[in-house]
Amino acid sequence: MHEISLVQGLFHQLEKLARENNGDKIISVTMEIGPLSGIVIDSFRFGFDVLSADNDLIRGAELIIEVPPATYTCVQCGHKETTSDSRPDKCIKCGDLFLIPTGGEDLILNRIEME
Amino acid sequence: MCDTCGCPNPSHHTHDHDHTHSRTIDVHTSLFAANDALAKANREHFDDSGIVALNLISSPGSGKTTLLEHTIDALKNKISIGVIEGDIETEKDAERIRAKGVPVIQLTTGGACHLDATMTHKGFHRLEKEDGGKSIDLLFIENVGNLVCPSTFDLGEHERVVLVSVPEGPDKPAKYPKAFISSQTFVVTKTDLLPYFDFSVAEATGDALHLNPRLRTMDLSSTTGEGMDIWLNYLLELVDKMKKNGNRKL
Ligand SMILES: Nc1nc2c(ncn2[C@@H]2O[C@H](COP(=O)(O)OP(=O)(O)OP(=O)(O)O)[C@@H](O)[C@H]2O)c(=O)[nH]1
Ligand SMILES: [Mg+2]
Ligand SMILES: [Zn+2]
Repeated sequence: MHEISLVQGLFHQLEKLARENNGDKIISVTMEIGPLSGIVIDSFRFGFDVLSADNDLIRGAELIIEVPPATYTCVQCGHKETTSDSRPDKCIKCGDLFLIPTGGEDLILNRIEME
Repeated sequence: MCDTCGCPNPSHHTHDHDHTHSRTIDVHTSLFAANDALAKANREHFDDSGIVALNLISSPGSGKTTLLEHTIDALKNKISIGVIEGDIETEKDAERIRAKGVPVIQLTTGGACHLDATMTHKGFHRLEKEDGGKSIDLLFIENVGNLVCPSTFDLGEHERVVLVSVPEGPDKPAKYPKAFISSQTFVVTKTDLLPYFDFSVAEATGDALHLNPRLRTMDLSSTTGEGMDIWLNYLLELVDKMKKNGNRKL
């Protein structure tokens, strides 16, 4: 459950951004969670719900999660498959099992809406 | 909650306006950025000091500490080894390593399921103060026993080693892909137990290579010593490369 510590890090950033922008209520938070980031979206959401309940600034804020794609390159034929779904089982062109993933590893705070 | 705009604090405004009270701020910063920056600084520090740093990741009890004990016995006269032990509680693993006569410190995370770059940074400076802590060639960082969370956090290591023991079953790469995608080396441990378990080394390594074709794979038993030479050579080569490169990046 490293998601909890990541949500704590997020909340520190939100508090800092609110101070800098004279906001006193966060309305929504838009996160980008890569399919290869190692983050379980349900756990992240759970952590967000639990921790925001105790936080006057963030309580009730909507958590919007966007999942960007990752690209899987076939080592056999070079075909590149780009998807935000789970990892393809095999290359759709040649059926080879060896695919090298790139991208989709980050956890990004994209936008916040506050008042 | 305000019925008109869903704003949680209706006392703040009236509705003869078009939501000018809420502002959208584009941030676009990575939540890993702080950890990654510190990890990079750690790696540069290891490079400057000519230290090869390895991050060991596995489920609890896969044999990380045992492998380190046997590795120290085998290499103690050839290179200087240092160890940072990560555990949720207790000094037990550090005591086992200390008994081998090499510098070691224990990081207890107090509940956290992984080490991060900050803890590693502090741990390394504590290690430097230990006897022999200033002349380390090879630094092992034994992460908290957990195959999921540690793989998300770069500590500043040069290579990441993921271990799976025979009793755990060969399906770990398929179930915990991130650990195998983010590692450079995969070690199957406790191969002396192969006769008693339905474990195919070929299946486990095949699945891991499917996820990460660049992965180096090996299998060994710390207790019988079978396969240890390949592991030890791998370590010596890393140290050698670091020395030859004149402390530049591996
Ligand atoms: N049969 C056999 N048992 C082993 C081997 N290596 C370790 N063990 C046993 O596995 C158990 C756990 O080993 P540890 O080295 O403590 O495992 P660990 O990965 O450090 O465990 P945590 O730090 O708690 O995650 C111990 O009882 C060891 O004796 C091996 O090669 N063969
Ligand atoms: Mg251990
Ligand atoms: Zn292909």
